Amino acid sequence: MGAIPSGILCAALLTTGVLTAPASARPTPHLQDRTPSGSLVEVTDEAIKSTAVGVDFTGEWAPRFHEDQPERVPGPELGDYLGIPISAAARLRATTWEASIQTLWEWQCRPHSADYIWRGPSPVRISKEVDPVSRLVTAWHAEWLRSIDRQVYMDGRPHPSESAPHTWAGFSTGTWEGDMLTIRTTHLKEGYVRRNGLPRSDKATLTEHWMRHGDVLTVATIVYDPVYLTEPFIRTTDYELDLHQQVPPYPCQVVEEVDRPRGVVPSRLPGTNPYLHEFAVGYGLPFEATEGGASTMYPDYIDTLRTLMGGSLRILKAPDPSRRR
Amino acid sequence: MATLKGSPYNDVQRGRGGQAGPPAAAQAAAAIDLTGYWVSVVTEDWRYRMVIPAKGDHPSVPLNAGGVRVAATWDPDKDTAAGEQCKAYGAAGVMRMPGRLHIAWNDANTLRIDTEAGMQTRLLHFGGSLSGEPTWQGYSAAEWEPAGGRGGRGARGPYSQSGGRGPALGGGDLKVVTTRMRPGYLQPNGVPYSQDTVLTEYFNRSIEPNGDSWLILTSIVQDPQNLNGRFFRSTHFKKLPDGAAWKPTPCRTS
Repeated sequence: MGAIPSGILCAALLTTGVLTAPASARPTPHLQDRTPSGSLVEVTDEAIKSTAVGVDFTGEWAPRFHEDQPERVPGPELGDYLGIPISAAARLRATTWEASIQTLWEWQCRPHSADYIWRGPSPVRISKEVDPVSRLVTAWHAEWLRSIDRQVYMDGRPHPSESAPHTWAGFSTGTWEGDMLTIRTTHLKEGYVRRNGLPRSDKATLTEHWMRHGDVLTVATIVYDPVYLTEPFIRTTDYELDLHQQVPPYPCQVVEEVDRPRGVVPSRLPGTNPYLHEFAVGYGLPFEATEGGASTMYPDYIDTLRTLMGGSLRILKAPDPSRRR
Repeated sequence: MATLKGSPYNDVQRGRGGQAGPPAAAQAAAAIDLTGYWVSVVTEDWRYRMVIPAKGDHPSVPLNAGGVRVAATWDPDKDTAAGEQCKAYGAAGVMRMPGRLHIAWNDANTLRIDTEAGMQTRLLHFGGSLSGEPTWQGYSAAEWEPAGGRGGRGARGPYSQSGGRGPALGGGDLKVVTTRMRPGYLQPNGVPYSQDTVLTEYFNRSIEPNGDSWLILTSIVQDPQNLNGRFFRSTHFKKLPDGAAWKPTPCRTS
């Protein structure tokens, strides 16, 4: 094949954005590795392959509750801290929690935070923001039923200073590790790791890994919280591409749900909650296990369980169906 | 000896329009490094994994009417008496069992996973052909999925073995499809899967700035006999420095 006129090559490169992308935003170029050897179509194909990074997450994704359905759909029960590496401070604070706090005006429309929302009962829409000139993806957007738009910046911008405001979504930047999108999030407002009062502090950071396998999206979230966790807390969640889904609007309105004196915040003083044992009793589990902590998430805890349960791990009594709302 | 004939992996090795040479062994061309010791971190489905839940307690599993009926007949003592105490340790269930994994190359084209729980061995074959009677672990056909897709960037070569973040940054994942399994349990309380089950798994690996490394396993179970639609679970394992804590335990029903 003959050489390609430089003008045509340049046009091809402009078309694919190789020459127009700002250096700071441009992914690692590989074009210089390639020697154009064919037609313009071939060159364009090569350029597209050279600039393409990662995979496309765009679409409507439906959650699949095939793990932790009781926690994620009806909702977790009071005193269920199984398998979460909580600190003593988290446990103490959680035991003072009352579900009716959700009826407060300030809580009714509060969205789940970026770290928790993957486990919530919400579909998610993922879209990409593309620079009109370079055609590079500069940000991903994720929007759940009960959330505002969350951005994940891909343009290499730095995280803001520590004193910048914290939000429910936090500040997120993404990088590709092969076809896995890795996201670091800072500046989170205080939230929860389970919606039964287990707190997550505003000092926490979040790492996510988004992985797409055909029409299946798996997201790993790893929460690091120096206040309420003693070890990183990882969860992995699956979504399925749903071509018929449209995340509907969620115009949350605050209403008076409970008639109570102004200023009252539902809570219990430490050591006074009489209901903390109900979960353990209802499911035939040792109370000590339900208190959670890092040891309960490792296989070696089975030896402790076996001792606590009299030698057998079998739960003999099925849970009362009324426990599932 | 298994061969790579017919493996889609060969196309990756040749590249787009390249010379067809002898296929590279799967080990030499690994997209990511999964070898080593890993421990499951049970932060999900705790009540269905760390203990043996009661009969009929399976709210997360999309069982069809037939599956519910089979689950209701579960009798662990009968399983034990029949020598079937490993039914929850078949390929579609064993990766959810709390325990450590040891992953190593059995040969250049076979990745081996030994499980602490139930002392099971899974062989992931790159190439080769399906044969033999159904077993707990069935027959697993494996292929690398390089980053960028076949013929894409990942086809340029295997992950960096120079240390640092290389094994993860190499990109892709491992896809494994398992069939020919003996009927077993998706959950230790008798939630069934049949001999017709197809188990598809994707193995990914991350390396974190704090030095942690995670194996993230997405599994998809298809079993028209017992399930409504596909059954998705993702399971995570943390990398261990060595096998010092390795403590194999036999299959248990109590």
